[in-house]
Amino acid sequence: MSQTFIGGVHPDYMKAPQIPVTVITPPAQVVLPMAQHIGAPCKPLVKKGDHVKMGQKIGDNPAPVSAPIHSPVSGTVVAVEPRPHPLGDTIMAIVIENDYKDEAEFMEPLTGEELKDPEAILRRIREAGVVGMGGAMFPTAFKIRGGIGKVDKLVINGAECEPYLNGDHLTMLNYPEQLLKGIELVRIASGVDKAYYGIEVNKQDAIDKLNSFDPAKYGVEIVPEEVKYPQGAEKMQVYAVTGRSVKPGGLPSGVGANVVSTRTCYAIYQACYEGRPVIDRIVSVGGSALAAPVNALTRMGTPLGYLAEQCGGFVRTPRKIVIGGPMMGICANSFDAPNIKGTSGVLFFTEEEDRHEEEPHCIRCGKCIQVCPMRLEPVFMYMFYSKGDLANLEKYHVNDCFECGSCAFNCPARMPLTHAFKTAKLMLQAKAAKEKAAAEAAAAKEAKK
Amino acid sequence: MNEKKERIILDVAYQPQVRTAVSTRRLMLDVLIALLPAVAVGIYQFGAHALLVMATSVSSAVFFEWLYRKFTKKTASIDDLSAVVTGLLLALTMPANCPAWIPVVGTFFAIVVVKQLYGGIGKNFLNPALAGRAFLLASYSTALSGTYLVPRGLKNAVDAVSMATPLSALYGEGSMSGLYTVKSMFLGNMPGAIGEISTLALLIGGMYLLCRKVITWHIPVSFIGTVFVLSLLFGKGNMGQGAYAVYAVLSGALVLSAVFMATDYSTSPVTLKGQLVYGVGCGILTVLIRKFGSYPEGVTYAILIMNLCSWAIDKGFRRHQFGVSKEDIEAEKAAKKAAKEAAK
Repeated sequence: MSQTFIGGVHPDYMKAPQIPVTVITPPAQVVLPMAQHIGAPCKPLVKKGDHVKMGQKIGDNPAPVSAPIHSPVSGTVVAVEPRPHPLGDTIMAIVIENDYKDEAEFMEPLTGEELKDPEAILRRIREAGVVGMGGAMFPTAFKIRGGIGKVDKLVINGAECEPYLNGDHLTMLNYPEQLLKGIELVRIASGVDKAYYGIEVNKQDAIDKLNSFDPAKYGVEIVPEEVKYPQGAEKMQVYAVTGRSVKPGGLPSGVGANVVSTRTCYAIYQACYEGRPVIDRIVSVGGSALAAPVNALTRMGTPLGYLAEQCGGFVRTPRKIVIGGPMMGICANSFDAPNIKGTSGVLFFTEEEDRHEEEPHCIRCGKCIQVCPMRLEPVFMYMFYSKGDLANLEKYHVNDCFECGSCAFNCPARMPLTHAFKTAKLMLQAKAAKEKAAAEAAAAKEAKK
Repeated sequence: MNEKKERIILDVAYQPQVRTAVSTRRLMLDVLIALLPAVAVGIYQFGAHALLVMATSVSSAVFFEWLYRKFTKKTASIDDLSAVVTGLLLALTMPANCPAWIPVVGTFFAIVVVKQLYGGIGKNFLNPALAGRAFLLASYSTALSGTYLVPRGLKNAVDAVSMATPLSALYGEGSMSGLYTVKSMFLGNMPGAIGEISTLALLIGGMYLLCRKVITWHIPVSFIGTVFVLSLLFGKGNMGQGAYAVYAVLSGALVLSAVFMATDYSTSPVTLKGQLVYGVGCGILTVLIRKFGSYPEGVTYAILIMNLCSWAIDKGFRRHQFGVSKEDIEAEKAAKKAAKEAAK
C-alpha cells in the first residue's frame, strides 16, 4: 500500500516525463546572481575582465549558512553588477561572456576512503555549492551537519508532487545507479544506516528501475507514496515515510528526520564522484505560451527569455513566468532573470491557466479546511485576516501554514488565501520584532537607571 | 523578438498559479442538476401548477438579486446561480396549489432581507430559502399548509382535488391512511410540497452531490439518522415504533431539507466534526418540534435554529493542527486544570 498524509489536492499534473531531455545550448552571456541559496549571499571572487573556466568558483562566503557559486561556462567576466533575480528584486550578479569552449576546471573526484568519510563528503558538498535543489535552496552541507547525532531517519524526497515538473523523475530514470550512490553518500554523511526514498507511484517505472539496481546495497529503501499534492512537502514526506509528525513550529530534525531531495542527491553524486559543482540541472519548461513542454538540461544563469526561445519560442503571449511548480512557484518579473540552482521548472502561463476572480466572495463551503495538510482552518484565518485581527490569526495557527496553496487551489470562490496567510505571517513577524525592540528599549532604559 | 518581449507586461500573481476548475457557479449548477429528479417528480405529480410556482419563484429570486445589486451599485451576482438555487429550493417547499404571488413575497424576503442585506452570498447566517419559507408560513399559513393537491398517482384512489399530507395526518390522529405505504412515500406518491414527496428522487440528487463532492455525507446522514433513531425511541399513537420511524423519515420535508437545505454552505459548520454535531442538533430539534410543537413539520425551524448555532459549533469543534498528538492535547488540558486549581 502506498503511504500518504491527511488532506491534500489533486491538481492536473500536466507531467511529460516521456519527453527526452533536451540539452540547451548555453547562451552567449550567463547571469549568476550571488544569492542562489538561503543564507548569506556570496561575495564575487572575480572581477570584470577575468577569464573563468567552467566549474571555477566565482562567488563564496565563509558564513556557515552559505554555498559557493561556480561558473557554468568558460569565458570572460563582462560585468559584476546588480541584475534581476528570478524570485523578484535586483541583486548583485556576475555576468560571463561565453567563449563556447567549455574549458572545464572541476575538483578532483573523491576516491577510496574519502567516499566513506563523512567529513570529506560534507566538505565536498559545501565546496560544490550544493543546495536544496527541490526549490528550498537551503545549503545542504549545513543541513546534514545539523542533523548528525539527532537524525535516525533519513528521508529522500522523490515525490515530485508539483504539476509540470519532471526533473526528478527523469533523473531517476536516466541515472538510477548514480542517484543511489548519491543517496549513499548523504546517508554516510548523516551517520545513519538507512535512507528511505519516498516516491509517488505515478513514477512506477522509476521505482522499478531503481529497484532493479538493488537499493538495499546502498542502504536505501524505496517507499511508494500515494499521488497527492503536497506529498513532497517536508513534513508530509516525513509523516508518510516514518509516521512521525513534526511538532508545530518544529523542524523534521526535531523528530529525528532529515529530508533531502532527489536532485540534491544527484548533485552530491556529481560533486563527489566527478568533482563537478552545481552548474546545470534539468528544468521542466512548460505552460500554454509554448507549443509543447520541454525537459531542458540547462546551465545555471540562462536567462528565461532565451530559455523560452530555445524551447520553441512562444506560440501565445505569456502573461506570467512561474519559477518552480505552479502550486508553490513564484512569478518572475523579467525575461532577463536567469535560472538558478533551485529552479526546477519555468512555466510560461497565459490566460488559459488563469482562474482568478476580480471580486471573490467566500461562500464558507469549507473546502479549504478539508484539504489543508496542516489541518488548519483557512476560512476563519482569512476572515481574521480581512479584519486585521492578528491575535486570532495567531490563535488559529497561521504560522503553521507553509503556503502549499492547497486551500487556494481548492477554493471555488477563488479567494486569495495563500497570499493572505503569507502577508499575515509577515505582519506577525513585524509585530513580534516591534515588541521585541520595545522590550529591549525598555530594558535598556531600566539598566541606565 | 527582444523588442516584442519588452512590451509584454508580466503578472506577478501570488501562488498557487493554478486553481481547480470547480467554481462557485459550478457548485450551484451541480445543486440545480441534483434537484432535477425532484423537480421532474413534482411536475409529473402536480402538473402545470408546480411548474408555474417554480418558474415564478426562480425568476423573482433572480430578479430581486439583480435589482438589489443594481440598486446598491454593487457588482452583478446573478451569474453565480445562487439566486436560482434559492428560488428553486423555496418553490420546492411550496404546495403546488399556492397562489403565484406567494413565492414572489417569499423570494423577496429570502434574497433581499436574509441574503443581500447581510452582504450577499456567503455572508447570510440563515438559509435564505428556509427563512423565506418561515416568513411565508408565519404570514400566510392557510395558503401554505392548508390543503395539498392530490398527486396524479393517487387520483384513482381519492375522489377529491386536495387532501392533507401524511405528516399532518400523523400529527392529527396519530394514524395513517392505508393509502400511504412505505413504497408510495418513497417513490413520491403522496400529497405534499412540490419537491419533498419523492425520497427516491431526492436521494438520487443527494448521491450526485456526494459524487461531485459538493457536499459531504456528514450533515444528511447525522440529521436523518437522528430523526430515525429518536422517532424509533419515542414512537407515536397507535403505530408500531418501527413503522413510525420510517414514516417520520419519508412523510415530510426531512430528506429534502437534510440533503439540500441543511447542507447550505454559508449557514452550516465548516469542520466535519462540527457538521456531525449540527446534523444531530437538527435531528433532535425536528423530532421535538414534531412531537411537542404546534406544527406538524419541524425541519424548517430546526434548521433555522441550528443555523444560528453554526458559528458557535465551528468555534467549539475546532480540529487540532498537524503535529499535535493526543498526548499534547491531554498535557494541555492537564496544564489548564492545574492552572485553574492553582488560581483557587
